[in-house]
Amino acid sequence: MKDLKHMIYFEHLLQDANNELVREEKAEGKHPLGYTCFHVPEVLLNLEGCFSVRLRAPNMGSTEIATYYMANSACEYSRALLERSIEGNFKFMDALIGVDVCEPMNRCMENMEVLQIHDTKNEHFFRCYLDIPYSDDEDCVTHLTEQVSRKILKPLNENYGIDVSDASIRKAVVEFNEMCRVINEMGELRKEMNPVITGSEFHKIVLCSYVCPKNKIMPYLLETLEELKMREPDKKNKYKSRVVVVGSEIDDPGMIELIEESGALVVADRFCYGSIPGRSEIHLNDEEDALIQIVRKNLLDTECPRQCAEHKMKYRKDHVQELVEEYHADGAIYEQMKFCTYWSYERTLASHIMPAEYNIPVLSIDRPYRSAGSGQLRTRVQAFVESLEIKKIKAERLAKAQAGEVK
Amino acid sequence: MAYNSKTKKGLGNYYKATSRTMTKREWKGFKDTAYDFFRWLKLYGYMGLRLGKHPILMVKALFRYRWLVSFLTASNMVDKHTIGLRGQELRYTHEQFYSLICNSVDNLGLMLLRDRNLRPHSKQAEKLRNNTVMFDEMTPKLIMGGFPTLKWLDIAMLAVGMPSEIDQSANPYYIDVVEHFGLAPDLCPFPASESGVAVADDYPLVGKTYITSSMPCDGSLGQVAFMTRYFKDLPIFQITPPQRFKEEQVQDYAVKNLEKCIAFIEENYQVKWDWDAFWKACKMYNTEVECILNKWDVNSTDYPQVCNAALALHREYEFMGTGCLDPKFLKTDLKVDKMMKKGYELDKKNDANKPRHRAIVWACPAHYYTNFTYWAQHCWGVKTVVDMECMLSHHFIHVGDKKEAMIDLAKSYEKMMMRSHTNGGYQNSLDECWKMCERFNVNIVIMYDHVSCKNVGGLHGLFEDQARERGIHLIWVPHDLMDARTVSRREMREAFNKYMVNVFREEPLDPSLVDYEDTIAW
Repeated sequence: MKDLKHMIYFEHLLQDANNELVREEKAEGKHPLGYTCFHVPEVLLNLEGCFSVRLRAPNMGSTEIATYYMANSACEYSRALLERSIEGNFKFMDALIGVDVCEPMNRCMENMEVLQIHDTKNEHFFRCYLDIPYSDDEDCVTHLTEQVSRKILKPLNENYGIDVSDASIRKAVVEFNEMCRVINEMGELRKEMNPVITGSEFHKIVLCSYVCPKNKIMPYLLETLEELKMREPDKKNKYKSRVVVVGSEIDDPGMIELIEESGALVVADRFCYGSIPGRSEIHLNDEEDALIQIVRKNLLDTECPRQCAEHKMKYRKDHVQELVEEYHADGAIYEQMKFCTYWSYERTLASHIMPAEYNIPVLSIDRPYRSAGSGQLRTRVQAFVESLEIKKIKAERLAKAQAGEVK
Repeated sequence: MAYNSKTKKGLGNYYKATSRTMTKREWKGFKDTAYDFFRWLKLYGYMGLRLGKHPILMVKALFRYRWLVSFLTASNMVDKHTIGLRGQELRYTHEQFYSLICNSVDNLGLMLLRDRNLRPHSKQAEKLRNNTVMFDEMTPKLIMGGFPTLKWLDIAMLAVGMPSEIDQSANPYYIDVVEHFGLAPDLCPFPASESGVAVADDYPLVGKTYITSSMPCDGSLGQVAFMTRYFKDLPIFQITPPQRFKEEQVQDYAVKNLEKCIAFIEENYQVKWDWDAFWKACKMYNTEVECILNKWDVNSTDYPQVCNAALALHREYEFMGTGCLDPKFLKTDLKVDKMMKKGYELDKKNDANKPRHRAIVWACPAHYYTNFTYWAQHCWGVKTVVDMECMLSHHFIHVGDKKEAMIDLAKSYEKMMMRSHTNGGYQNSLDECWKMCERFNVNIVIMYDHVSCKNVGGLHGLFEDQARERGIHLIWVPHDLMDARTVSRREMREAFNKYMVNVFREEPLDPSLVDYEDTIAW
């Protein structure tokens, strides 16, 4: 396929958390708000006058200082962020919105707090830790709404004069939905048997939508969408199978590239920093406060294995099945960041339940923060692709044999 | 002191590389040895009396449940913790340990009668099960005070918690099972063991509902998924308290969650919550809280009394294992409280019992099979005056005020074992540690470095930095909770020895304890 016009630029933007669009937007007087977790309603960080930057630590090498502070059993993502913050890369943030969801990320942010990694000259800087409930009933919605109001909206208004009214939130939702529509339209193209976009291209685009100011990245996204509509797919599909990737945080495009280089086209991205569910549109009604509706949607949509209610556990597995069917995938890759407790439990169970009860072949892997160079991972994905191929061949043979018997 | 400088023999000589038990009983002088022996008889007498009533079921259970065998070594556990002790300290320790072993034995008795695995066709067992609630380990069992007609059993404490305190070989099998199933080996062995018991199908089925919780950490929450699947045919309720429990605003959510749990029990067992019975339970809880606070007060002085594991494990079990609902614990508390006050006055009068070093134990504890704090006392004269483990749930409950009582109950269990310090912000672990150093007048922190704990591990560097600033000796003692294969007791002791020799330039009180082989001992 012909290269996408802005792909090099997208890749360039992913080289630095404080990328040029973030710098431009900040120079225009807008306030960058750092966050990491889906449980922070992203749209609320994109009210007029501020914008969200989902934190990453691209090109991270050694994390020795962070390992001193957090021990080597903490997930590599949290250590990479701490290391990068100690190096000074996150000083551009005007606020840091944390969540008390998983231990390493919470401790990472607490270390940032004690070590004062922010720009200490900014006296309006604030940070918070949202207390996230474990389910999605109305008690949970009320609880989280109070948390978000008190810990995000109130200081945004008091410290930076951001309009946090219902009207302002609704306006942000409209803009957010527009971006989601563009991303989802691109995502839809992946349902084709020979799609015009690869998983790694899509992942880079989605990543940019998380780490750049929305208004600045939108023109590029729109242009890319138009380009994709005109793009000719390769005549011969080079991939041997199609997979859904399910799991914890992936902000390293190298991981998706590795999977695709091993012969599996990634057709759906059901992971943190992916488009499912992060790029799902918010449909508001006029009767209820926009804030409550946003919080409710966030709790309903989250697929984090921390949500331990029985129906949430079932929902996650059912949803993977839906994605496999919808995107015509041959199997699912359950991945976890090494040392992630929640996903380790989820992945282990799924690796038994999905094949047995949902008839979906699963590859279960843990991986480092930066995966591209991992030969071990590559071998495992290759072996999985082969097993999917063998399954297909066997199924075809069986079908033929059965057809012969009928005749 | 147990070390004989003439014969060069000490407590370390009671261990042998090839033996699981100690080579012989310690001679503590006539009075103390007689007392020791009397307690030994009393313990086995109680076990025999309670479990001997069901000999066939007991034998069946021993063949059915691998973990149950560890209970047979209970007296060895008491021996381990009382070796080297004399006088009042010996008596406190026996008293404190006795109540928790009695409670475990009582629970085993309840289990034998109800278990569907042991009595699959018994109508009587089925009837008993229909009146019993099964609990996970970290759950607010105090709510059962409001359901006096129902029985309850903590199956995780029975199958995982208690055996791991008694016997270091109780859990590794289950850890292996779950790791073979696919779970990553870097996770905390406690929830991994709980999940392993589920995978091995080794939980007794003793009730008709199961109550679990997200406490205290990510691992516990992870194992909820295993347990929910294991009991997929039973109604399950999950208690999910807020993380940031110091914020008043979160209590509303916590109370609603508790009320839902109560409603869940009411609905499944067709019983009504009984406030009068609950108040009675709260009074018992409050008295027990008062007793632990008294112990802390006394231990803050120059004459600490109830120290080491006797302090911590008792309180842990009192709240976690029994939900403060076992009158035996109250009886022990009141008795020890009296003894302790008397002992304090006596020591003060004689200006006696001042330890060489005072320490507190912090972070996720090594399980008590390690007998670490008593070892530190006998070997190096480092007395543990308080343990983070026992600083749990010391929030009084307003008796008579229904609204306030529910908030108090929520606040109490939000500060459950480990959770009180490892959740709700770094201040609860970090700042609190320095506050306790000041309160208990110590300059040594035995810092348990649980190698699989991503929670306290996340504060590792800050602890180091701030301890140095304050001139406090942080002695990091690595361990892997209940998996002695990762870090053995000997390696734990070695880490401590190095600090005492190299930093303190200290001479051991009992050189035979500096290095001895107990790899296979229970």
